[in-house]
Amino acid sequence: MVDALSCVRWKRHQDALIELSEHGIVLIVEESGCLQAKVYLQRELFTKYEYGAQGRPRFGISLGLLVDCLNTFSSPGHSNTIEIKYPGPDMELLLKSVDTLNSCIYSEIRTRIPETVAWDYNFEQAGSAPLTFTVKSAALKEAIDDLEWPGSSVQISLHNSPPCVTFRGEGHGDLQIDFMYYANTDLLLAFHCDTEVSYGYKYKFLKATTANIPGNVVRENRGSKLTIGRGGMLKVQHLVSVSKALAPQVESAGYQPPSRIAYIEFFVKPEESSD
Amino acid sequence: MKFKAFLTENGVNLLEKRFLPAFEKMGKNCYLFLTKEHLFFLHNLLNGDGVQCIAQFRKDVLFDDYRISSQNEDRIAFSLDVSLLYRAVKSSVSICTEFSGGLASNRLQIKLVKKLPPNCTQPMPFLTFETKGYKSAVIQDVPISKPLSRSQVIELQTALDSAQDLPPTLVQVQDPNQLQNFVDHMKHVGDVLNVTISKYGDLQVQISTTLIRLGSEFQRLLVIGEKSQAPVEDRNLSAQSRSERAMARGDAQSVQVSVKHFSKSLQCQLTKPDSAFYGIAPQGACLTVIFQFMIPGTRQTDKSISLHCRLPVLDPGSN
Repeated sequence: MVDALSCVRWKRHQDALIELSEHGIVLIVEESGCLQAKVYLQRELFTKYEYGAQGRPRFGISLGLLVDCLNTFSSPGHSNTIEIKYPGPDMELLLKSVDTLNSCIYSEIRTRIPETVAWDYNFEQAGSAPLTFTVKSAALKEAIDDLEWPGSSVQISLHNSPPCVTFRGEGHGDLQIDFMYYANTDLLLAFHCDTEVSYGYKYKFLKATTANIPGNVVRENRGSKLTIGRGGMLKVQHLVSVSKALAPQVESAGYQPPSRIAYIEFFVKPEESSD
Repeated sequence: MKFKAFLTENGVNLLEKRFLPAFEKMGKNCYLFLTKEHLFFLHNLLNGDGVQCIAQFRKDVLFDDYRISSQNEDRIAFSLDVSLLYRAVKSSVSICTEFSGGLASNRLQIKLVKKLPPNCTQPMPFLTFETKGYKSAVIQDVPISKPLSRSQVIELQTALDSAQDLPPTLVQVQDPNQLQNFVDHMKHVGDVLNVTISKYGDLQVQISTTLIRLGSEFQRLLVIGEKSQAPVEDRNLSAQSRSERAMARGDAQSVQVSVKHFSKSLQCQLTKPDSAFYGIAPQGACLTVIFQFMIPGTRQTDKSISLHCRLPVLDPGSN
C-alpha cells in the first residue's frame, strides 16, 4: 500500500483527499489546478472491509504523514496486518497493528474537512475513438527522466502513419524520443490513434507522473497506459502490485501467487498553446 | 604513571566485533578510565547533554598481565577518539592473523607511553599497540589526551558513582529489533518521544504532534524491582487510556526524551546483549537502559561486563 501511495507523493509534504465507499478507498492529490492523481484501492485488496456509512465520507489528510506512519508498521520478518478505522472519536483516521499478542503499534492521524469540491477533471474522449497507447512503465519513466535535459516543456505527439508516439523537448538542446509501434512491440504494447494530435505539457507535471514509482514496480515493468482526451488532457494510468506477504508454502517454479493490483491515475492539463 | 597489559583473544574480539562499533556510534570522544580491577569506557559523563554511556569491564575479561600504577590510587583516566582506537584494534587483528603460526608469542601489548611525534617539540601521550612477530614488530600509536589530574579523576569517579543508581522498576525488552525498526521510522514523524513504563510490565513509546499520534506498546514484559498486577477492568482499553489510568494510580511513570537520543542508545545493540531493561529514574530524572550480558551457554548474568545508558529527559516527567 505504501508503494501505491508513494507513487503520488511528489513532494515531502502533500495533502490528500480520501473518499471511502463500499467499493474501496480512493486517495486524491492535486497540484495547482494542473495535475491530479488518484489511487484506487479496491475492497478486494483488503483481507476484511467493513463499510457502514451513508454516502461517501470524504476527509483531508497529510499524505506524507500517512506514508511515514504506514512505514513504521512494517518490520522485516514480521507479518504486518494493519487495521484501519474511520472515524475516531475526533474524526481521526485510526491505524493499529493486530498481529502480535503482547505488542502493538497504533496511530491516530488528524483529518480535515476537505475544501469545496476538488477541481473535477472531467476526462472526455477526444474524438470518435480513444487516442491511447500503452508503454512499458520502465521505458516511460526513462524517457521522461531523459527529457529533463532540454529543460523545456514536453510535446507529446501521436502519429498514425507510421504509427508512433513522439516525446519531444526543445530547450537548450533538442531531444526527441520515438516509440514506433511496429518496430518494437515489446516497448509499445498497444496503440490506437485515428487522428494525429500533439500537445505540450509542463515538464514538472509530466515528471510527477513517473518520478515516484517505487523501484520494485518499475522492475515488474507492467504497461502504463496514456490517453489523450478532449482539449489535450493527458491521463496516465499505472498498475501497482499490492501482493500478499510471502506464502508459507514453497512456490514451485512458474507458480505466481495471484497478485492484487492498485490503480493509479494521473491527469495532466496541457499547456496553453501559444499559436 | 604506568600502564601495560596484554589484550587476550577474547578481549580483542569483544572490542573489535562488539563494543567499539557501538561506542563509535555513541560519540566521537570518550573517557577511558583504568583502575586496579576495571576498565571503563565513559561517554558524555561530564557534559550535561547527550546520551551518557557507561561500559565497565573487569580486567581479566580483556587483559592478561594487567599492570597499572599511578599516584592517584592506581587510577588513570584520559580521553581519546573512539574511531582511532577502533581502527588500531582492527588493524592489530589483521596483523596478528598474518603472523600467526600457532605461536603464542604473537601477543598484542597495549601500554601508555609518551612520545615525540614528528614536527612536534613536546612529547605527547599515546596508547600504544605493539605486536611482536617472529621477525618484525608492528607498533600503532593512538593519540590520547593528557591524563586527567587528581581532581578531574575525582570528578569523574563521582559522576560514575551517581550514574550507577538503579531505577525502582525495570522492564525487560526481549526483541529490541522491533523497537529499533519502529524508532528508525518514527524519526520522520517527530522529534520528541514519550516513554511510559508501568509496574505491570508495560512499555509504551509514543510520538505526539498536532497532526498525529504514533506509538508502540509492549505489554506483559518481565519486571524487575517494584511490580504490581494490571487491573482486569483496564484490559480492553486503548494503550493511551491504560497508561493514563496507571499513572493516576501511581503505577506508571512517563518521561519525554529526544528521538535522536533514543535511537542512539539503541545502537548499543551492536554489542549483542542478551536483553535490555528500561526504567525511569526517581522523579523522572532520566531514562535508563541497562543491557544484560549472559555467560555464554548459561542463563547467568555475566557480571564482568556491564553496559548502560542514561538519556536526558526533556521536560520534568509526569508522575
